[in-house]
Amino acid sequence: MKISFLIHNAYGIGGTITTTFNLAQALAARHDVEIVSVLRHRERPNFTLDPRVSLRPLVDLRKEKDHPLHLRPARVFPAAEYRYEQYSELTDQRIGECLAATDADVVIGTRPGLNVHLALQAPRHVIRIGQEHLTLDNHSPSLRTTLRQAYRHLDVLTTVTEADAAAYRRKMWLPGVRVAALANSVPDPVLPAADGRAKVVVAAGRLVPVKRYDLLVEAFARVAAEHPDWQLRIYGKGEEHARLRQLIQSLGLCDSVFLMGAAAPMEAEWVKGSIGAAASNFEPFGMTIVEAMRCGLPVVSTDCPHGPGEIIKDGVDGRLVPVGDREALADALLELVGDDERRRRMGRTAMENARRFAPVPVVEQAERLIGEAISARRAGRPVAPERDRIHRALISRGFAARDAAHAAAGSALRAVRRGQR
Amino acid sequence: MNGEQDMAHDTTHDAQLRAHCTADADGRITFELPALEASDLQPAQLLLRLRPKKGKPEDTLRVLPLEAVDDGGRRAVLEPQPPLTEGRWDVYLLPEPGAPRQRLRPGLRDLRALVDGHTRNWPSPVAVRVPYTTKDGYLAVRTWLRTAQAEVEGIDVTDRSMTVKARLHGATLAEGAVVRLRARGANGAVRTREPQAESAGQRFSFTVDFEELINADTTGNRVWDISVQTGSAEGAPLIRVGRLFDDLADRKEIFVYPSAMLGGVAVSPYYTVDNDLSVEVTTAD
Repeated sequence: MKISFLIHNAYGIGGTITTTFNLAQALAARHDVEIVSVLRHRERPNFTLDPRVSLRPLVDLRKEKDHPLHLRPARVFPAAEYRYEQYSELTDQRIGECLAATDADVVIGTRPGLNVHLALQAPRHVIRIGQEHLTLDNHSPSLRTTLRQAYRHLDVLTTVTEADAAAYRRKMWLPGVRVAALANSVPDPVLPAADGRAKVVVAAGRLVPVKRYDLLVEAFARVAAEHPDWQLRIYGKGEEHARLRQLIQSLGLCDSVFLMGAAAPMEAEWVKGSIGAAASNFEPFGMTIVEAMRCGLPVVSTDCPHGPGEIIKDGVDGRLVPVGDREALADALLELVGDDERRRRMGRTAMENARRFAPVPVVEQAERLIGEAISARRAGRPVAPERDRIHRALISRGFAARDAAHAAAGSALRAVRRGQR
Repeated sequence: MNGEQDMAHDTTHDAQLRAHCTADADGRITFELPALEASDLQPAQLLLRLRPKKGKPEDTLRVLPLEAVDDGGRRAVLEPQPPLTEGRWDVYLLPEPGAPRQRLRPGLRDLRALVDGHTRNWPSPVAVRVPYTTKDGYLAVRTWLRTAQAEVEGIDVTDRSMTVKARLHGATLAEGAVVRLRARGANGAVRTREPQAESAGQRFSFTVDFEELINADTTGNRVWDISVQTGSAEGAPLIRVGRLFDDLADRKEIFVYPSAMLGGVAVSPYYTVDNDLSVEVTTAD
């Protein structure tokens, strides 16, 4: 079977790229797999790609940045999408041609705007799978309104959590479309797991406000006061760097909390720690939590929407604390710092439990979904059976009306603002 | 194979060889390479080269056999003895006799055994090795080789002074020991502090009054290097104060302390590119 992924830009850095590469490589063991990157801005991808997976770009920004069509706004790619500004008539055209000519049996879109292309432009015989790496509730009303129409033409829609899949089923009426969670996978670690002895807490991610590293640093002040031989290492870079440095200095934590800069891969850094930490207000999935657990670290995380609560089993393989609660975060860290046996036991359990995010079980789930879509097509029936048709249609109609009203209000507001300029 | 253009012919990102390495607490480093294209019978070697100063020839090399291992890869072990000269060592593959050497990229660097190095006792001579990634993305080993080390355990910076806690390795404090601050440059001023010794002449602390540094040298911007002289006798060894005993080859951007502002002059303790402790005094414009 030939499977083709359609991705925004395979040459950048980010969670969607990592997880798409992981899934593509795992599928390549049994299938012919390609990644089509709409944009390209450098010679090579940042992440290593298995040579069995072919990679081809549609628009090379190094040569085509000033292409006349690239200067005109996109018409197929939805205007409400986050990355609309990076799309154009040229990307519309190239994506359309690519889909029309595809020899793949299955095409997998990896972001809302590309899923729309797929839904509208893929040939009838192609199985269309849309992947959502963000969450429905975080999309704007106008994007939700666009997707509500377009996603009906997909065969399968995958989210990264069950919670987000449930949101789609409830708030979007997508008759016949199979909506299912497909977790991000994390490759099997190469190094021996952490042994729980290191007096180091490790966190990793972009230094942006939503990750709440400020809360983590403040919580760690209590750990450093009670256990001065422990340290916190935060890996990543971003706009919060200077503010965090200032916070660390003002709390007198210069010898306890360290901004380590970016590290890729993180594996050799996770195993230097014995506890992972995440303080986010919002986490569509929580890739770093899984990475840490696969390396044998119990993770203390906020129980934010949507990922952490589906990854961590509180008190068993990690700890979940309320969002934004500095004291609860500090308590949970102290609980694991102060109890060597509990920490090591939880670390071992974390490693066991996180195996469900290994490439093999995740790729099996992906193959199951593809298989269901293919047999449904052959049988000439929808992929998802329609249950409670009227009831669900009614509920989702309420959400649709609300989004449409918000979207209309939003565009009216924008029109007014434009007029005032 | 450096430029982006050259890489255009590579089918994958990783056309260059990557070496995993594992550091042990005693200084041993094990390098692991994937199977080589050349026949396994070829006597491949790993070359460590001390990076020469600009314009100087390279003259310090260490060559290690690359043994074939069960999984088809190759392994070289750098034993703790003899110690390596202090500096930065670049790592190359010598695929076979007479073939050009290939500089290696880092794979995973498993340095977990180094993280708590400061909790151990280091005998003289103090030899430290930390594998790291160079700015341009190659594998290298940072080394220190010193008679003794005054390892910083903590720095408390206030708005007018700093108190440094340190521990001696490979030496002990004797009667008349002093902490010596010396301004860099010709005829740099020298200031001394009396260390407050703790346990068995190993742990000690000292406080540096920033005002004193400002007044000692009115020539403007200065960097003061900090050492400890372990006894009063003439020629008692001078031991640099710094932080070497963990997994960080470059701590300058990671261990960052606040600056104190005293009347338009900024005083900033910092770690140098060699991980030694210094204080920078900068007059604001």
